[in-house]
Amino acid sequence: MRNVLGPAVWMMWAVVLLTPASARDEIRIGITGTFTGPAASIGIPYKQAAELFPSQIAGHSVKWIVLDDAGDPAAAVRNARRFTDEEQVDAILGSTSPPGAIAMFDVAVESKTPQLSLAPVSVPAAKRMWIFSVPQAVPVMVSAVVDHMAAKGVKKVGYIGFTDSWGDQNYNALVRLAPAKGITISTNERYNRVDASVTAQVLKILATKPDAVFIGASGSPAVLPNLTLRDSGYEGPLYNSHGSVSRAVLQAGGAAMEGTIAPTGPLVVADELPDSYPTKKAAIDFVSAYESRWGKGTRNPFAGYAWDAMLLISAAVPAALSAGEPGTAEFRNALRGSLEAGKEIAGTHAVYRYTAEDHEGVDQRSRILVVVKDGAYHYLAN
Amino acid sequence: MNPTVALLLAQDGITNGIVFALLGVAILLVFLVTRVLFVVQGEFVVLGAVTLVQVQRGEVAGAAWLLMPLALLCLVLSAIQFVRERNSRLWSLQNGICLLALAIGLCATFYPPAGKSAWLQITTVVCLITPMGPLLYWTAFRNICRSSILTLLFAAMCVHYVLQGLMLPLFGPEGFRALPLVRGRIDFGGIWLSAQLIFMLCVFLLLTTALWLVFHHTLPGKALRAVSINRVGARLVGISSDIAGAAAFGLASLIGAVSGILIAPLSNVYYDSGFLLALKGFVGCVVGGLASFPLAALGALLTGLLDSFAAFYASALKDSIVFALLVPMLLYMSVTQISGRGEEAGE
Amino acid sequence: MRRLTTIALLVPLGIAASSVVLSSYWLTLVISVGINVLVCVGLCVMAGQAGIASFGQAAFVGVGAYATALLTTQGHLPPWVSLFASLGLTVAFAFVIGWITVRLSGHYLVLGTLGWSVGFYYVLANVPGLGGYDGISGLPQLFLMTGNDERIPFNVLVWALEAAVLLITINILDSGPGRAIRVVRSKAMAESFGIDTSRYKLAVFVLAATTAGLSGWLQAHFLRFVNPNPFNLNASVEYLFMSLIGGLSHFAGAVIGPFLVVVTKSLLQTNLASLVQTTGNYEIVAFGVVVLLLLHFAPNGVVSLLPGSLQLHSRLTGSAREALNSVEKPARGGVVLSAKGVSKYYGGLRALNEVSLDVGAAEVVALVGPNGAGKSTLFDLLSGLAEPSAGAVSLLGERVDGQSPRSIVKRGLARTFQHAQLNDDMTVLENVALGGHLRGNTSLISAALRLDRRKEAALLAEAALQIDRLRLTEVRDEKAGSLALGQQRIIEVARALMVDPVIVLLDEPAAGLRFAEKQALATVIDELRKRGVAVLVVEHDLDFVDQIADRVVVFDFGTKIAEGSVATVLNDPRVVEAYLGRPRSAA
Repeated sequence: MRNVLGPAVWMMWAVVLLTPASARDEIRIGITGTFTGPAASIGIPYKQAAELFPSQIAGHSVKWIVLDDAGDPAAAVRNARRFTDEEQVDAILGSTSPPGAIAMFDVAVESKTPQLSLAPVSVPAAKRMWIFSVPQAVPVMVSAVVDHMAAKGVKKVGYIGFTDSWGDQNYNALVRLAPAKGITISTNERYNRVDASVTAQVLKILATKPDAVFIGASGSPAVLPNLTLRDSGYEGPLYNSHGSVSRAVLQAGGAAMEGTIAPTGPLVVADELPDSYPTKKAAIDFVSAYESRWGKGTRNPFAGYAWDAMLLISAAVPAALSAGEPGTAEFRNALRGSLEAGKEIAGTHAVYRYTAEDHEGVDQRSRILVVVKDGAYHYLAN
Repeated sequence: MNPTVALLLAQDGITNGIVFALLGVAILLVFLVTRVLFVVQGEFVVLGAVTLVQVQRGEVAGAAWLLMPLALLCLVLSAIQFVRERNSRLWSLQNGICLLALAIGLCATFYPPAGKSAWLQITTVVCLITPMGPLLYWTAFRNICRSSILTLLFAAMCVHYVLQGLMLPLFGPEGFRALPLVRGRIDFGGIWLSAQLIFMLCVFLLLTTALWLVFHHTLPGKALRAVSINRVGARLVGISSDIAGAAAFGLASLIGAVSGILIAPLSNVYYDSGFLLALKGFVGCVVGGLASFPLAALGALLTGLLDSFAAFYASALKDSIVFALLVPMLLYMSVTQISGRGEEAGE
Repeated sequence: MRRLTTIALLVPLGIAASSVVLSSYWLTLVISVGINVLVCVGLCVMAGQAGIASFGQAAFVGVGAYATALLTTQGHLPPWVSLFASLGLTVAFAFVIGWITVRLSGHYLVLGTLGWSVGFYYVLANVPGLGGYDGISGLPQLFLMTGNDERIPFNVLVWALEAAVLLITINILDSGPGRAIRVVRSKAMAESFGIDTSRYKLAVFVLAATTAGLSGWLQAHFLRFVNPNPFNLNASVEYLFMSLIGGLSHFAGAVIGPFLVVVTKSLLQTNLASLVQTTGNYEIVAFGVVVLLLLHFAPNGVVSLLPGSLQLHSRLTGSAREALNSVEKPARGGVVLSAKGVSKYYGGLRALNEVSLDVGAAEVVALVGPNGAGKSTLFDLLSGLAEPSAGAVSLLGERVDGQSPRSIVKRGLARTFQHAQLNDDMTVLENVALGGHLRGNTSLISAALRLDRRKEAALLAEAALQIDRLRLTEVRDEKAGSLALGQQRIIEVARALMVDPVIVLLDEPAAGLRFAEKQALATVIDELRKRGVAVLVVEHDLDFVDQIADRVVVFDFGTKIAEGSVATVLNDPRVVEAYLGRPRSAA
């Protein structure tokens, strides 16, 4: 054992330790996300989008450093430290899961590096200076669902979601928003991503005779409750969370997903948006680039967040370059200042407008509703 | 809860329970013959299910890409052994199965089965998955088969990690769902039973009957039973523990493939679905006392029912409730065991 | 021993000191290693020494982490105060869970930890007020105001704690309670020497949980954020694998394992992911393959490469300043042990049938009879390992049948086992010292704080005395497992004598001995007789029996068929028929 293991480990260390710290005129951005492990289906599109990132911004070459944290907050922190300490990055994108992103806050604050979270997080006021949240916060998305329910006269909604952070967040948003519109929540059922059956939970939901059901799940496991509800004879409206909007769900769900409604970013149905929609151009540009690389129909909201983070950085770099060279504290501070300068930046998902007070930066234009018709998502213009 | 809901829950519970029972029986078989607590059984189920879906879609079965390297590895190990120990035979059951597995893998890669015949699909799945059991035994377990139960459990966990880790790039993170092999539901005056459940029950009964026949009326089956009752004694009367181990693993992978076929049309199967399934099958085994096959199957059915009813009453804590069942059962088994004498942890 | 202590202190303190020179990324890595090491040290002792492999250590890390998270964010307590809450709550949890768990036997115990490990995760996520799956964020820093890099003091703290924990671990393992912990696996043997195995198992369980809780407290304030994920079953398995890679047999494995795993994994995560373009869980594959190879080729982990001089073994330290107390032996002529009409049934099988037997003070009684005659069963009944189905056993005039082995050994009955039950990894000295468990008894706490040294020195000196007496001096510091079977039996005898018994039960002590060794044994038995100790010995070697025994009792099919002096019994026709087959004079 000693003969093999020893040299191998030493060699790997040598690789790390001897990596030269090159002279900087390039911009370095670290990206960390969940690219392996059970939540990988959500993380992988971010990585795929990152492969399309430009190699130059404002005449400077950019090095995008992509690391995997496998959804482990401790690994996300280690990656963040690696970015700030070894690579002296100018900004950090990530992580793609809320726990990972939250755990990285302190690294960003301590090292005075702007962090653009690729997972929806609420930014605590004390750390707001360096943290920006790119994806729409869950309540923003759920508000679209609640508004639609109210408009359709739904009085009672049943909830079923994942036994994880995603299931919690959607439920909490629903609890916060629905009562104001006169909607009561009849159940809070949970299931495991890999569960083979949700029959029991569905029976419990049906026993409360809800007018609609909201499903707080993501990726193809979101199909199971839809399917079981329909199989059990439920014919009312089905709302899914924005985490479910993906091609995999349509493929896995087939007929069961027909007619279901979900909130999402506008890029998913970019072609159907009215031309006046502010994010349409960015979205169409991204979708064509992404689909020509990864195949027709591969567009998904997650890749869009990564792309928007890149657009935000690109927009902020020119102003920051006048303050200092990449790799310096001046540059990072100027980058942060430029990000929160209150300019409107049209991304694929939203028109972002960060200010010193608001680092979540998106409004109602960042979410739309889509309905599944003939095996595809279509814009639901109220 | 009204009677209809109770009945539906029971039906759901039994459906889950059958899958757990198949897993439980396989895990128990492997445990009794080799003392390995075989958490890898869940991966066999996933492989069975995913392979069925891929065959139905007309794709090349990813399982072939696990089977062929495994067979090659096994051949290499056997060649090393041949070079080292002059007395080992070149032409053994092991090498034969390796070559057969290679042939099956190549066949499945270059001539993926076409057509809609359910029998062809099932045969393909069974042929691809079953050889993995013995191959895994020979590569990962045989040389440490005398170690403590704990070491063997660690080895099984390692194999589980390796397989699951390889299945993610092989199959991707998305779920697989097969087209139903049987459709429809049967109405009994307002109360319906899904045809799938009846199909599952039939297959379950058929498989258990077949196993019973094998164990009680064939010589190899009796030999296997002898090993499971008394390993040392069986070795003394000349039953090869090597072949018995491989046979137990082979039966486990066969049962896994069948379970996969049964579960595939019911729900989405993910590359990592296996572990939780195996653990629940395992809970079923323990509930049944970790000693007898009928009791293990019964325990697994109970676990399935508990799973379903717990999901109805407290879905967020469902798994806590199911796994909490382990502790009192184990406590009961510890207390009833003859205590004090010759007890060694891990032995 | 001293060298090991020095290293165990210098390595962590060195790492703590190197904080200043470590690159910032390595600093983070080393802190992560340290946080894992704390869990693994406890696990290593628990699994490697006491044989309790737990699939639930992460749950205790979780208790520690959540306790401080809750108290510092909701209760606004300083982290140094919540440290005590973290530890206290972990200990309380460990007591409750451990009380049930250690009652599980063998591999059921491992499976039990699996059960509550899975259960705990969902409970953690569903208890109101713990923040659900998103957990609790905004924990305060330990040293500096939020927003400042405090990794250097943090690393110093982590590794200083590490040094303290390692020191305590060494102190405990190198003590009476430590030896007891190392044999709790052999329940029957341990209980026969007065070791309360359940209590020691529970103690180890709680200790391991405490280091895990401490690790949780550190982890919570390092990440300043807790959520249920790092405390699930997978995390527990990872702790176990880290320890396994390092090696469970030596606590150093608990340092080496996490170091190798955390560092290699981090390197793989950064380097392999960019080498392999497709997305996969390759590090978990590599992890699995490495551990599998280890299980095959180096089952004792990396620590098996450590030199022998770094093995943790108690050694004789000069001369003892005090002697162990010894009890007054009963007067010559009195009855020490008496069995009246003792029977034992296993189902329909009668292993013993109404056997009556007296052993007097300073008397050597030999039990002879063919294999399966019930001699070892009788030993088990006399020493409390089994309960007689009928009849009475009394020791020094008091009824003891149905009592536990622990209370019987306290009354002065010591025994050996037919199949030597020694801890193969402990030295002869340590194995023998184990017999004096009740005489040199100290608490775990005084052992941890090194307050037991005088007693320990006396105990080891006494053990060395017994070893010399049985002519084992040359192998005193050898591992028991490396000795021949005959020598192992003699170690058993020495261990039994450490009890300071009024009666000693020897189960075939002379089997496998050479002539000179037999003579030494005979001398020892004779000395015992002279000191007033009663001896009951099972032996097949009739010449040897003739040499040592005052009286012989012959067994066949669970029944006593003859009793008397050696000469009379051996000429008894029933004995000749049942046991010898032909008169001895013809031999």
